[in-house]
Amino acid sequence: MRDVIIIGAGGGGPVVAKELAARGLDVLLLEAGPRHADPESEWTHLENDANNPLSGFLRFGPENRDAPAWYRETPQNSFIWQLSGVGGTTQHYFGNSPRAMPGVFTGYNGPDRDAYDTAHLFPFTYEELVPYFEWVEATLPVQTAAMGTKESVFFRGCEGIGLPVQTSKTTTEDSFRPQENAILQPGGWAGKLTGRDDPRLRFPEATGCTFCGYCMQGCSKPRGAPRNLAAKRSTDNSYVPMALTADVWADGGRRAELIADAYVTKIHTEQRGGETTATGVTWRVGATGDYHREDATVVVMAGGCTEDPRLWLNSALPNPNGWVGRGYTDHFFDWVIGLFDDDTGSTRGAASAARADFPGRGGMENVGLTPGLQQFAATFSDSGIRGHYTNGRGPEGPWDGTAGRMIGDELKDALTNGIDRLLNVLVITDDDVEAQNRVTLSALPADEHGPVPKVRFHQRERSARTRANREFVARRAAEMLRAAGATKVVRIDWPPLLLHVQSSMRMGLSEDDSVLDANAEARWVKRLFIADNAALANSLGGPNPTLTAQALATRTAEKIFSRYFGGDAWVGRESPVVSTDSRISAQLTPSR
Amino acid sequence: MADRTLARRTFLARIGVLGAATAFGSAIPAALPRTAAAAGSDALLDPLVGLLRPVLAELARDTLSGLVVMTCPGPDRFSHAQGTPRSEPGAIDAGADDFIINALDNFLPFPDQIATPLATALTTALDDTGIPLPPSLHSLLLGQVNTVDRALMVILRNDQTVPLSLVVGLLLNLLATQVNPLSITGSLLSPFARLSIDEKCRAFELLEGPNADLLAVLDSNLPEPLTSSLSGLLQFLAGALLEFSAFGAHNEFAVFDPDTKELTARPVGWELAGYQPDGVVDGWDDFIGYYEDRTEVGA
Ligand SMILES: Cc1cc2nc3c(=O)[nH]c(=O)nc-3n(C[C@H](O)[C@H](O)[C@H](O)COP(=O)(O)OP(=O)(O)OC[C@H]3O[C@@H](n4cnc5c(N)ncnc54)[C@H](O)[C@@H]3O)c2cc1C
Ligand code: SF4
Repeated sequence: MRDVIIIGAGGGGPVVAKELAARGLDVLLLEAGPRHADPESEWTHLENDANNPLSGFLRFGPENRDAPAWYRETPQNSFIWQLSGVGGTTQHYFGNSPRAMPGVFTGYNGPDRDAYDTAHLFPFTYEELVPYFEWVEATLPVQTAAMGTKESVFFRGCEGIGLPVQTSKTTTEDSFRPQENAILQPGGWAGKLTGRDDPRLRFPEATGCTFCGYCMQGCSKPRGAPRNLAAKRSTDNSYVPMALTADVWADGGRRAELIADAYVTKIHTEQRGGETTATGVTWRVGATGDYHREDATVVVMAGGCTEDPRLWLNSALPNPNGWVGRGYTDHFFDWVIGLFDDDTGSTRGAASAARADFPGRGGMENVGLTPGLQQFAATFSDSGIRGHYTNGRGPEGPWDGTAGRMIGDELKDALTNGIDRLLNVLVITDDDVEAQNRVTLSALPADEHGPVPKVRFHQRERSARTRANREFVARRAAEMLRAAGATKVVRIDWPPLLLHVQSSMRMGLSEDDSVLDANAEARWVKRLFIADNAALANSLGGPNPTLTAQALATRTAEKIFSRYFGGDAWVGRESPVVSTDSRISAQLTPSR
Repeated sequence: MADRTLARRTFLARIGVLGAATAFGSAIPAALPRTAAAAGSDALLDPLVGLLRPVLAELARDTLSGLVVMTCPGPDRFSHAQGTPRSEPGAIDAGADDFIINALDNFLPFPDQIATPLATALTTALDDTGIPLPPSLHSLLLGQVNTVDRALMVILRNDQTVPLSLVVGLLLNLLATQVNPLSITGSLLSPFARLSIDEKCRAFELLEGPNADLLAVLDSNLPEPLTSSLSGLLQFLAGALLEFSAFGAHNEFAVFDPDTKELTARPVGWELAGYQPDGVVDGWDDFIGYYEDRTEVGA
């Protein structure tokens, strides 16, 4: 019998594990995928080895890479980019950690209050979440991003279209800025030297981000650094090491136990006092196929937006309003590529260190990719093939020609112009919660973990606000690229790319369209909480979701502690320990 | 009966199987005992299956080579055939054909519940649109065509798992001959690979968009409740084929040694892109400073 069992060690789960381990609770953290304990020997900086969604070391699948990835049905042109393994999808995230827009919370009264998804607000105020933002920002830590060449190009473009610069964490107007990101600022030789096997680029001669450009392949830089001093603060580098060493840095803390290769297939419940109450979980060990069961005082789901609804439905938990899996938001991304005559440094430095925000509309950020992924992104479209067919879409605007995939000579010319002479912009839409976009169980056969999820997105029938927002930001992106000096601008018109995922098990004000109450406890299953992106009430107005999910998970940890363990809240009363703390490093084996 | 046989022959021509099989015409018996098809295997059929299997693998490879050069044309014959030859290396030099075949056959978790009915459709579909077959495809007797057809059925239906690269290849050929019936014959093995790049795009338009003809061929073989998923899955497939081709043509797949985790040569995509000229790095000298020298911001 544990105090708390947490399902999933991605962006959210380890936050609850760390916070409650620090309070001395007996915490078990279960992760379906592998644990990459020594990235320097296990990983490479090669995009197929890393990112092939079918066979890469960063994929959604079992530890054994000869076995196929786990299947999800996607009955539309779309792509789900979530990872298994300790760190979850943060293993290859970009670390960008903006706060949610204030306008997506109850009680917001700014002049732009009607500009957001007002039907699906957070059930508490922005001000209430601020101390939790601060706590997570101090823990990761979140810092102002260093600037490389591609950032300077992005800023030039933003200045050129007349945007002001934002100098606060909270966004209040259309503006641009360096990202606030969970990446340690460069120190020593980092960012000042190009090389391989140069001792000056090893820790501690180099600290923080070395500008290696491999964020998407997982961060293990600088070489030789203890895991908790790797530049990018994916949870495998930050919250997981903290959870596993809680006894050394927290007074009265207790080490959490982490079991990888452990796929939870069922949440158990019983009736207590007329209420359905979670009692524990069963998981399957990938290597052996054996099943284990453990009970706990509280169970926390953190398997991500696609797997949480699947596990809920496979556990036959109640779903009286039908909102389990519904209201899935994805920031309805788009992609705009600018070609330049000069160096843009697209493949150097952190993958995305500059952004602009448009409250009520969404935002945009620069993204550098490796060659294969660059061309993948340029052929991923819902608008057919440029110059050939539009697949019923093909919007026109301040970009060249109609939107659509590039192909043939055009695609090749874009690359041979130089991958470091282009700049990609990710269009991030402030999209609405809509019941039609959802996870159900697929009619295709079950896998070893039960019926598989089916993820349905109706991208062409998104709400009018969502579609208008996307067009607005895509235009701004193209105008910004031109202002920065792009000689050619191509809009791809992506189909759904599920990478910023939110709200599929949302918390909400109304019990008619939410699964969680304001404490992130399931409305119909007591002692069951959700602490990942699925718990978010909406798409945050466009900011990248992880920081807000982590702030919410911190708040949820407090709710669990006070409600079921009789403890007091700590955020705002204590000071957070930073995840780079030397007491944690001392517990970790340094990598080679 | 004769009509059905003729219609089936036309269909086999469209998906490229007839053309591929004519290569070894005299080895094909004109008649098989009735038991052969029922048993799925037979003393007479087995050698033919053995002959046909590598030919179909070649057909699939040719078709998928025609696919990958869409995303990165080069000096190869497939890029020539689509009318976009280039002097620098392209997808074929980058091994993207191997990449896509490997992905389809070994990794893509495309459910057999969809793949099998697709394969079945390809073993039963008829074509009575009356597309005339060129003389080169008339060299096999109808009895021989029937024998080839049975061998195809064995290959598509009796494998442990469906060879998805073949199913996809045959599907692309079917679309190719819908776009341009003349692609039924010519140089190269595959009708799809014979198309111009404009025509290939048209084939993708048919795969991605609502294509009643294609759905009619495939739909009837699918069990409920999967029929509703089919057009969505075809949309997914259309996108994935192009995206994976582009990814495969530009990443390090072909020159990666999994044992040492090192590269044996510089990847074609890196060379084309000018990506990290001196190979993998531990860091770049690209830190300019902080915008307006601001290293932190307030609330
Ligand atoms: C390329 C890329 C870049 C990104 N960049 C950013 C960024 O800059 N900023 C940002 O905010 N966000 C970014 N994101 C999104 C970010 O990765 C997610 O917001 C975050 O990882 C979500 O956390 P999560 O806990 O909800 O899910 P995940 O991180 O997906 O974690 C879920 C975990 O649970 C495990 N799991 C699932 N089911 C089970 C089960 N039944 N039993 C046991 N374990 C289970 C999974 O294996 C996984 O490890 C990016 C994403 C991608 C793909
Ligand atoms: S660019 Fe910086 S944050 Fe990204 S992987 Fe390299 S060192 Fe890590």
